[in-house]
Amino acid sequence: MLKIKNLKADIESKSILNNFNLEIKPGEVHAIMGPNGSGKSTLSNILSGKKGYDVSGEILFENKNLFELETEERAHKGIFLAFQYPLEIPGVNTNIFLKTSLNAIRKARGEKELDAIEFLKLVKLKAKELKFDEEKLNRQLNVGFSGGEKKKNEILQMSILNPKLSILDETDSGLDIDALKIVADGVNSLRKKDNSFLIITHYQRLLDYIKPDYVHVLMNGHIIKSGGPELALELENKGYENFN
Amino acid sequence: MEEQLKIDFEKLLENSNFSKKNAEIKRKNFDNFIEKGFPNRREENWKFSDLNQIISKNIKNLSFYNDLSKPNKIDQSIYIDGLEHNKIVFVNGRIEKIEFDYEEKNKIEILDDLVLEKSNNTTNSLLFLNNAFVSKYFKLIIKKNYSLQKPLVIYNITNKDLVSKNINLKVDIFLEENSSLKLIEFSNDKSTTNFININYNFNVQKNSILKNYKIDNNSNSNIKYCFNNISQDANSVSEIFLLSSGSEFIKNEINCNLNGKYSSAFVNGVFILNETKHHEIKTNINHIVENTKSYQLIKGVLEDTSKAVYQGKIFVDSKAQKTDGYQLSKAILLNDNTEFNAKPELEIYADDVKCSHGSASGSLNEDSIFYLMSRGLNYKEAKKLLINGFLLDVVEKITDSEIKNLIKNIMSLKQ
Repeated sequence: MLKIKNLKADIESKSILNNFNLEIKPGEVHAIMGPNGSGKSTLSNILSGKKGYDVSGEILFENKNLFELETEERAHKGIFLAFQYPLEIPGVNTNIFLKTSLNAIRKARGEKELDAIEFLKLVKLKAKELKFDEEKLNRQLNVGFSGGEKKKNEILQMSILNPKLSILDETDSGLDIDALKIVADGVNSLRKKDNSFLIITHYQRLLDYIKPDYVHVLMNGHIIKSGGPELALELENKGYENFN
Repeated sequence: MEEQLKIDFEKLLENSNFSKKNAEIKRKNFDNFIEKGFPNRREENWKFSDLNQIISKNIKNLSFYNDLSKPNKIDQSIYIDGLEHNKIVFVNGRIEKIEFDYEEKNKIEILDDLVLEKSNNTTNSLLFLNNAFVSKYFKLIIKKNYSLQKPLVIYNITNKDLVSKNINLKVDIFLEENSSLKLIEFSNDKSTTNFININYNFNVQKNSILKNYKIDNNSNSNIKYCFNNISQDANSVSEIFLLSSGSEFIKNEINCNLNGKYSSAFVNGVFILNETKHHEIKTNINHIVENTKSYQLIKGVLEDTSKAVYQGKIFVDSKAQKTDGYQLSKAILLNDNTEFNAKPELEIYADDVKCSHGSASGSLNEDSIFYLMSRGLNYKEAKKLLINGFLLDVVEKITDSEIKNLIKNIMSLKQ
């Protein structure tokens, strides 16, 4: 599904990622762990098409060259990024935003757009699953939401858009244990044989709830070690500094 | 231009039957205008919008005499759809229709042969010009204890045969005690490069409510000035909303005197400008007595080489304790060649007051755009959503829900 070959990324001639390689197959859950400044967020930004990086190498998503696609085209193809810091968008109603987003993606895929009633039915169902306060859907997008609510809102968007590849950028940071469980349940309910996940995190904690198939350690801009879930535990015990 | 002014003024007097008194006052105003001329940037009030220069740059051979003897046809297709309303229709400066179909007839009075006021209480040369050249001076009176059933729309239409003319309109609106009026001013211009000079005087008596919505939305090459004088008695409310978008140049000036206790004034406005458009909102809110309140919120979205100006002044008299005054302006500059000038002014002579002001401008937040695009919206859609969101909270201040919806439709803000 996703093949990253020899990715190099610089920002203002400072090297962030180099010699970065990763392959994710349909249905797999990969976790990337790494210390601050190791390039985790850069990776998620580049995968979703954020401008401002000098990149080289190759990223193929379902055999399409990602560098040739704009951010919204990547979303249409099924890439979703759950933001580390979801933005507040004043004046934009959350429900309207969700509907606009879903229909933009459906339209690009040649599917029928949902009308207001069909959409509301879907969003109500998903909000209930995630224990997301429905009343908040009538508010301005993320404005006045707590940190936990913003993260839950990301997962709600994910479950409504039903992407093929979901990238979770430190979705666990700032969540209390109850919210963490709800978020993890949301992710787990989306795990299907065609849906893949890339989970970016500092801590092993989230991986207690979302069992990854593979764990990778990202340091100094590339993956220094890969393994199964046990690698996360090893990392937690040793710390990044003593790890090599 | 002075030569033209003189010829046109004599022509006006010759072809109209003004009372001797009015003709005298007109001549006085005319002389005052000749002496002062169009305002320019040397006047503080006009420092961001040099009208003299704007007129000479945009209008070739401006003339001041209009033959109003023949009626004009009204293009009814421009009437506001889906809103039942009363109408006053001006076409090329001539009044063509007064229709209060929804109201009790004895509750509304219209006078049209008023004696002009003497000019010595102003230094505003455009009011001199208006008094000198206006052909009819209207007064609308809403009687005591009467609230209009439906909004009144004043249409100000100009046709395509109107070119390089000066049009003057003068309307007084008097709200007697306990009355209320929702007034929409709606302009539609197919004409080119005229100078349209409008003067409204609102007198809002005790316990009365004036809601005034000024819609300048259709793109045109005219230069406009609208001076609004508002006097408010105790417990009265005025709510003004400005959609400032269509004309090449428009300056809306609002002078509001809060003369009665517990009176309040709300001024909300949006600039949506592109190309070379240049718009200004200038306010003077005068808190004259205690326990009065004013609130101003102005937002702008500027594109191409457009320019917006907001000069907001709050004056608090030494007697006006417990004044509550607020103003905020914000602008999104969509490219480097746009300009937003904000000049907040607070002049306070009382000590127990609450007054604040703020202003901010900047470009669209690229991170927000990235966020929306990552959800499948293209750049254009993301930008539109953010801009609409930015402007929406000004529109949400409109207290009449029917008119709020209408304005959302006009601005394509409907979600």
